Amino acid sequence: MIGIPTALLLGTVLLLLLLLMAARGSAAAREVSSRSDAPLFEEEAGLDLCPAEFVTRIFCPDDLEFVSNTGSRPLQELFRRERKLVALVWVHQTSIAIRRIMREHTQAARQSHDLHFLTETKLVLLYAELMLICGMLSLAIQAAGPQRVRGLAVYAGALSGRLAQAQHDFQAVTAGPEFRGARSS
Amino acid sequence: MLSQSIWWASITLEVFLLARAIRGKLVFRYPVFYFYLSFIMFEDVISFVVYRWKPAFYSHTYWTTEFLCVLIGCGIVFEIYRVGLASFPGTARMARNILVVLFIVAAAKGMVAAANDHQWWLEAGTLELERTLRVMQAVCVAALVALFLFYSIPFGKNLRGILLGYGFFIGMRVITLTFFIGGSDASRQFWGYIYSASYLIALGVWCVHLWSYEASPAPRQTIQIERHYQHVAAATQRRLHEARAYVAKAVGS
Repeated sequence: MIGIPTALLLGTVLLLLLLLMAARGSAAAREVSSRSDAPLFEEEAGLDLCPAEFVTRIFCPDDLEFVSNTGSRPLQELFRRERKLVALVWVHQTSIAIRRIMREHTQAARQSHDLHFLTETKLVLLYAELMLICGMLSLAIQAAGPQRVRGLAVYAGALSGRLAQAQHDFQAVTAGPEFRGARSS
Repeated sequence: MLSQSIWWASITLEVFLLARAIRGKLVFRYPVFYFYLSFIMFEDVISFVVYRWKPAFYSHTYWTTEFLCVLIGCGIVFEIYRVGLASFPGTARMARNILVVLFIVAAAKGMVAAANDHQWWLEAGTLELERTLRVMQAVCVAALVALFLFYSIPFGKNLRGILLGYGFFIGMRVITLTFFIGGSDASRQFWGYIYSASYLIALGVWCVHLWSYEASPAPRQTIQIERHYQHVAAATQRRLHEARAYVAKAVGS
């Protein structure tokens, strides 16, 4: 009834998940003990991403054209290398910020008595989509350079910004007077 | 000789674990797990006696007790869910929903397969039946572990040990049964040893993690957001719909 590849895949996935859990288990316990007195949502906990104009600049081909016009090959190489590095750092920072947003959300949602399954599922899917985009961006930048992936980068930045906005709204609602009272008691 | 050594080592570790559990009162905190362990020990002894003096009944005895072990194992999965998520009702709700979805998918798949192949239930051997049940268990345990990881659920040493040991045993059982069913006699012997060794490793993990009682670290803050959650969910959902529309626009342009 269950095929050999399916059974092997499921067994292996379970073992890998357990390995991940063993690695992260103690870290999670440490996190709880160290963060238990910290507020659930912090005002400054939003996305600390670069402004959109800056991101556009990283991926814009104008600078590359300008450097190319100088005719200096070492300068062009240096520019490409540096710009690729900056782009990769931006992708890395973006993915960290997205992970932080999701972590804050899960830390709040895991204690909610009337958590809505479908809403949570949609958030998880959006999170997975964003992380996938970040991964693809990272690969594309390394393979082709930042200038060729401009469109995708701007799109990912805007999408994560919207997720941050949704999280900010979530934070604003939960930080109401009753909520604050419950927290201080 | 090797199988005898593994057998005796397993029984020794089981006795040791049960003794520690009774002394440290762990047996009252994880009753299903220790009932499972007691039953395994009982199975080991019964199987040994039958194998020694009534070998004709060995196969029947083994598969009857093995099937009961699988059923009690489902109780362990429930105990992990119950104890691990006691302080996290949101994640518990997600776990319930996911397990229901998995059950529906498995039932539907089973019905479709049974409709396509009427003879499966008659032709499938005990090994194949056990593999099917173990795969279902593996899926449930994997879903729980994924949820625990995603929601960063903190574990006490005891519960982590139970989950790691039992999950490892189930994962290895699925893999070894898969190779065992389709293998030659020589490879069957090899995978039989691997299976026994994996149980021994699981016992080792339990010995390390269940030496003494250690409570699960529950978060000190009790967040009372349930009154707001519907409103929050609506606001978040609206924003996500906007984001989805934005995605469609971005992809379309």
